[in-house]
Amino acid sequence: MTLEMIIPLLAATIVAGTPILYATLGEMITEKSGVLNLGVEGIMIVGGLTAFLVAHFTGSPSLAFFAAGAAGITTASLHGIVCLVFQGNQVVSGLALTILGTGFANYFGTSYVGLSAPGFQPMAVPLLADIPAIGPIFFQHDPLVYLTYILPPCLWLFFNNTRYGLGLRAVGEFPEAAAAAGLNARGYRWLGILGGGFFMGLGGAYLSLAYTHLWTNNLTAGRGWIAVALVIFAFWRPGRAVFGAYLFGGIMALQLRLQATGTQLPSSLLLMLPYGLTVFVLVLSSLGHRRTNEPAALGVNVEPAD
Amino acid sequence: MATAEPVIRLEGISKSFGSVQANQDITLDVHQGRILALLGENGAGKSTLMSILAGQLQPDSGTISHAGKPVVFTNTEKAIQSGIGMVYQHFKLVDAMTVAENVFLGASDSVWLRHKEMNTEVRQLAEKYGMSIDPEAVIADLSMGEKQQVEILKLLHRKSSILIFDEPTAVLTPKESEALFATMRQMVEMGTAIVFISHKLEEVLSLADDIAILKRGRVIDQLPKKSVHSTAELARRMVGRAVLLEVDKEPVEPRQIVLKVSSLTGKGLKGADFEVRQGEVFGIVGVAGNGQKPLVETICGLTSPKKGSVRILGLEWKQFFSKQNWEQTLSYIPEDRQGLATCPGLSLLDNFLLTTRGGFVRGPWLLKKRAGATVNKLINDFDIRPPDLDALAWQLSGGNLQKMVLAREFYRRPRLIVAEQPTQGLDIAAAEDVWNLLMKAREQAGILLVTGDLSEALTLSDRIGVMYGGMLVETFAADDQERIDKIPEMMAGLATN
Repeated sequence: MTLEMIIPLLAATIVAGTPILYATLGEMITEKSGVLNLGVEGIMIVGGLTAFLVAHFTGSPSLAFFAAGAAGITTASLHGIVCLVFQGNQVVSGLALTILGTGFANYFGTSYVGLSAPGFQPMAVPLLADIPAIGPIFFQHDPLVYLTYILPPCLWLFFNNTRYGLGLRAVGEFPEAAAAAGLNARGYRWLGILGGGFFMGLGGAYLSLAYTHLWTNNLTAGRGWIAVALVIFAFWRPGRAVFGAYLFGGIMALQLRLQATGTQLPSSLLLMLPYGLTVFVLVLSSLGHRRTNEPAALGVNVEPAD
Repeated sequence: MATAEPVIRLEGISKSFGSVQANQDITLDVHQGRILALLGENGAGKSTLMSILAGQLQPDSGTISHAGKPVVFTNTEKAIQSGIGMVYQHFKLVDAMTVAENVFLGASDSVWLRHKEMNTEVRQLAEKYGMSIDPEAVIADLSMGEKQQVEILKLLHRKSSILIFDEPTAVLTPKESEALFATMRQMVEMGTAIVFISHKLEEVLSLADDIAILKRGRVIDQLPKKSVHSTAELARRMVGRAVLLEVDKEPVEPRQIVLKVSSLTGKGLKGADFEVRQGEVFGIVGVAGNGQKPLVETICGLTSPKKGSVRILGLEWKQFFSKQNWEQTLSYIPEDRQGLATCPGLSLLDNFLLTTRGGFVRGPWLLKKRAGATVNKLINDFDIRPPDLDALAWQLSGGNLQKMVLAREFYRRPRLIVAEQPTQGLDIAAAEDVWNLLMKAREQAGILLVTGDLSEALTLSDRIGVMYGGMLVETFAADDQERIDKIPEMMAGLATN
């Protein structure tokens, strides 16, 4: 491989990793509050369709982007109603949300399959884009990519250096202790679910507004599930999530390129690669007995105070 | 008692759970700069009373006043605002966070956390009260004593002026307890009021300024420490006058030895010696935490004996528990009815089959129909309500569940029964049922009764053993009035023999 091949590959890695990164950070926020949301896939695809439709009809990608976030919040609120209001099982509710979201998007999106919508275009960052190698890889993308450069540090600051982040983590670790300290445990879980839903929706929006500029059935293609696995891989740390998302982005980009070069390997095997890697990564991250940082109360509902 | 106005006054507090009266017309004063000890056995209502004060429970009747003004604590937050803080027995700390983060959890009023300043503030606060703790340490790495210090720091940081300690030394080593007492004295000197729940006489005597004694939900005694001269006097006041209860006790000729414990040592035991014969009730009394729990756990096979020997029905401990005889052997009636004795989410039939499978299995199959007929008969004989095979264990009242446990265990016709606090938390009618059932079972079996209720022990037992410091300090017949009068001294470890 020559440098001329590697630099575009790495640039494509960033682009492919971005939607996964949005979704992973969203799921991380939710899980930090102690709620497991397996509905990422469904929320992403609803976000993707919303973004596409809004862009298609209004012609404004920015509006579409935020509409997708709002759609993510709305969809995630179903999870909140089931788990926080009715104390329902988080796993079942999340799975149902994925099935519901995928079905919903595919049904309402059918008549738009193949149509295109205005999306975000690459915008080189002045000065930085001219740095050899670094510039083409990192700084010749659309604005949504640049947003993910500042998002993880902001999230890290939020978790570790604000009282709301402290409250959110406490509720995810030991809701009774948080309640004894006078915090509203269920309020923080709502924050986790809705805030997470917002970013999951944005992840979907990236797929239809920047990654493809058009609508196809099953647009997310399992990226939501990869996000769930990546949160574990990342040990619930935003910084490691970046690394994980680009690792998967890289595999996806490589897989496309390999197909394009006409290799002997069957394409279905190549398509399997990212998901095979998911299994591999999960096994790898659970090896050893290091502190994984997993919220201790993850998946456990908060009993209503009486 | 101090004459100054109390910072907290509880007046006529009553609280009942179903038919159990946990608190009955309790009136108590808490004074600034003084330590009030609440003394009483398990189930006497201490924790209920303090949960009411901390806003976790609402009293059925009665009032709380804070600095002379009546207040209603509908939730913990309200109690916290009035300066009431509780150091729970089970710590409410987030294991994955640092000491400082836990202290500031829910108590920080700026959006940004300044870790450096938080750490300095916590360190200074700890030093002020003579504690040594690293604010940057993660909770999971701390000892129990250090975790407790963090709980205290949390309250001090919130400027709590009334601190409640729920059996604070239960989880501490003696050295950590000493450090805790020093901290508590320092806090009192600085004007804090402390309520201290305990059943350890020495602690109460060495620490408290005022003592209130609770028994079966009532304050039976309230006195300044000055007027108490010894732990024995305290014990005498705590057990009160033993009342003999109405139980049909027919004499039974004791037969062969069914349990023989000799110089059993380890896990809090220091050479326990006794034997139980078929046809008698051997009652072990003592203040909780003097080795009763490890003793029972060893006899019932939950832990293995470290040193010394336990012979059950003529077999060594290891031999006995390697055989699986379901009939005519050992039955255990644990203190923890909803947990150790039954699975709360299973039906009565399933709970019956948990320990009693003989005659109801064919290969891997349970013969539920046949077992159902038997359980129905037991429900009828023992008058268990609701009389329904499919009722879940948690749906039964304490008394009915206990009767179900007894019915199940007695069905196996055991020759040795270990009953641990069999009537704790039951109302008087249910307790009488349980006593009569135990007396009936005595004809077939030897019964080891471990209880904190002296009246119960005197009523049921043929012989009494007093436990203190991991061994039986004295054993005597249940009609030896002279020795019975000395039980409080023995429980306090003051008996000379």
